[in-house]
Amino acid sequence: MRIRQSPIPLALLLALAMPAAAQERPAVIVDPGRKQAYDVAVQRFAERSTSPRPPGTEKFREELGRALEYSGAFQLVNPRAFLGPEVTDSLEKPIVCGDWSQIGADALVQGELARDPQLLTADFRVWDPSRCKSLIHKRYRQPASSDPSLLAKRIADDVVEAFLGVRGVSSTDIAFVSNRRGNAEIFVMGADGSGQRAATANRSINNFPSWSPDGDSIIYTSYRQANRPLLFLSSRGKGRPGRLLPRLPAERAEYRGVWSPKGDRIALVLSEQGAAEIYSSRPDGSDLRQLTKHRGIDVSPTFSPEGSRIAFVSDRSGVPQVYLMSASGGEPKRLTFQGGYNTNPVWSPDGQWIAYESRVGGQFDIWLIDPDGSTNVPVVAHPRNDEGPSWAPNGRMLAFSSKRFGRAEICVVDIGGEKVRRLTQGAGDNTAPSWGPFPR
Amino acid sequence: MDLDDGRRGNFRRFLVVSAMLHLGLAAIFAFSPGMPQMSAPMGVISVDLVAAPTRAAPAPRARPKPAPAPAPTPAPVKPAPKPPVPEKRVLPKETTAPKPTPRAKREEIPPEAVTRPETPEQEYSDVLDKLRSEAGEEQAPPAEPEQVAAVAPAGGGGTGRPVSPEVADWMRRARIHVRRSWVVPPGFRLQSLATVVDVELDSGGNLLGEPEIVKRSGNPWYDDGVLRSIRKASPLPAPPEAGVWNFVFVSDESS
Repeated sequence: MRIRQSPIPLALLLALAMPAAAQERPAVIVDPGRKQAYDVAVQRFAERSTSPRPPGTEKFREELGRALEYSGAFQLVNPRAFLGPEVTDSLEKPIVCGDWSQIGADALVQGELARDPQLLTADFRVWDPSRCKSLIHKRYRQPASSDPSLLAKRIADDVVEAFLGVRGVSSTDIAFVSNRRGNAEIFVMGADGSGQRAATANRSINNFPSWSPDGDSIIYTSYRQANRPLLFLSSRGKGRPGRLLPRLPAERAEYRGVWSPKGDRIALVLSEQGAAEIYSSRPDGSDLRQLTKHRGIDVSPTFSPEGSRIAFVSDRSGVPQVYLMSASGGEPKRLTFQGGYNTNPVWSPDGQWIAYESRVGGQFDIWLIDPDGSTNVPVVAHPRNDEGPSWAPNGRMLAFSSKRFGRAEICVVDIGGEKVRRLTQGAGDNTAPSWGPFPR
Repeated sequence: MDLDDGRRGNFRRFLVVSAMLHLGLAAIFAFSPGMPQMSAPMGVISVDLVAAPTRAAPAPRARPKPAPAPAPTPAPVKPAPKPPVPEKRVLPKETTAPKPTPRAKREEIPPEAVTRPETPEQEYSDVLDKLRSEAGEEQAPPAEPEQVAAVAPAGGGGTGRPVSPEVADWMRRARIHVRRSWVVPPGFRLQSLATVVDVELDSGGNLLGEPEIVKRSGNPWYDDGVLRSIRKASPLPAPPEAGVWNFVFVSDESS
């Protein structure tokens, strides 16, 4: 997919091609070739353990390498090709840059890994060998009992940021719904599909997980009480698990809660006597405000990143389409006009796009539209359904649920639509992904 | 016509003189030895062809999706007839997302509106790309001088100026060579970025000093990648003459 917001006009190229220093010579126009990934050399980290249980530096290197490759922006240089040392000698000594630039490495990652009885510490450095410049020198610590791969992912995400300007997301989590154990429960996994574990186990029907901005909690919709959908909180932080909006009247069905980016409001759908409307409230359920009022059905709210607008789905035109309105309500403006069934909008973290699912030729695909509606393009299209998009916190990837493998599976794709990766497999239907925020 | 004799005479003289002048000019053009040289290319007017190699370059292959659809024409929203009061809706029993049930006739996108199979052009591009890939891109189709991605420094009010075949050939090879060293991650390819760099080369194509950015793209990481690629690309193909050469790195393949 090509997303061209403002193609570089010829006149601009001409203007750019007139530097004073090269007045008399034509400019060579270089356009992108095939290379999309930097070559990165990862040294095996030196081991500085005082613990009888060494952290396993080779395994750590493998995890770091996998996390770098997950970004799609790095590929590993085979350590056997190294001209420089395969294991980090010292982080204080300068490197011999020629050893690394000669093998084509765009980046060198080196470090030390230490485990004492309390802490696992990774001290690392990232170099740009072509400039012989140190880009990062940083240290991460975590409890000695925790998984070293978390450190490897944090390091990888920093390397991505040093080269791309946006943080990597290998250390983030994705929540989703799975019926692998019979009923639909909320699950959580790493952004690479690792460590899949249940976040709910209430043997009811649970759906629509949505992370809080601080990553501590997940709002979800459940039938676990009163035989109607209500919003609940699953918390691994300071939030109190349980019913999210206890102050709301009990007779209404409530579902699809999403936090505002600042975490100060929740948008949700309340349904009563057939009408589904968008509301917002404080996270404790107080200050409930009705934002839409129409005989049609208004669902699927999503906040803009600055929190001032809400996109949602309404069938007020006769078919479900995406609309925009102020976060305080007001007259909605229709955004999507192409396609007869557009739903599940999610606003990108940078505000530039709204991903949504659109039914095309009988099945759903994931599309992107910009908030002024001027660009509308598909990201992934497949003869089987692709549904429920959710943005990675860096805005460079999308998670979605796809039936292209038979059962519904969670997949991720970069927003260029070029690399679809499957994260779940072989266990029930996996749907409704919600990509969590960056870890703190 | 009602002309007097004097005016008729003047008119005849004008016709005769005009005919003679035209014949004379035709003879000059027909027999002048300079004519063949004028029709032969003295050089390449490259501006009109700036994008020629770029456009000839295959579209990105890994495009398992339809081509971007044209932006929707936001036709004024017809006041849709009020749908009947919907039935009471509850969360679906299944885990599928609740989709608003349309109450009116659904307007499906015609299948052809989103082209699922790749277009013949894309397939052709795929073949070209594959061949280029197998050839390490060094075997890019021999470009006619007209196809060189060259921009003459303006002057001509946007029309550019001729580039000698020798320079044009070097520019083609330099472009291919630098392109092989240039990593453009997917995120950058979705933006329209351009970095202009002055690169000083010796007669052997070796980089002298540091490449100098004369126009930044606005994205420092993209600019860093450009500088990295030039350093990695050294030595470049030997230029027609040593000195400062100007490169424009554009992120958009079809610019």
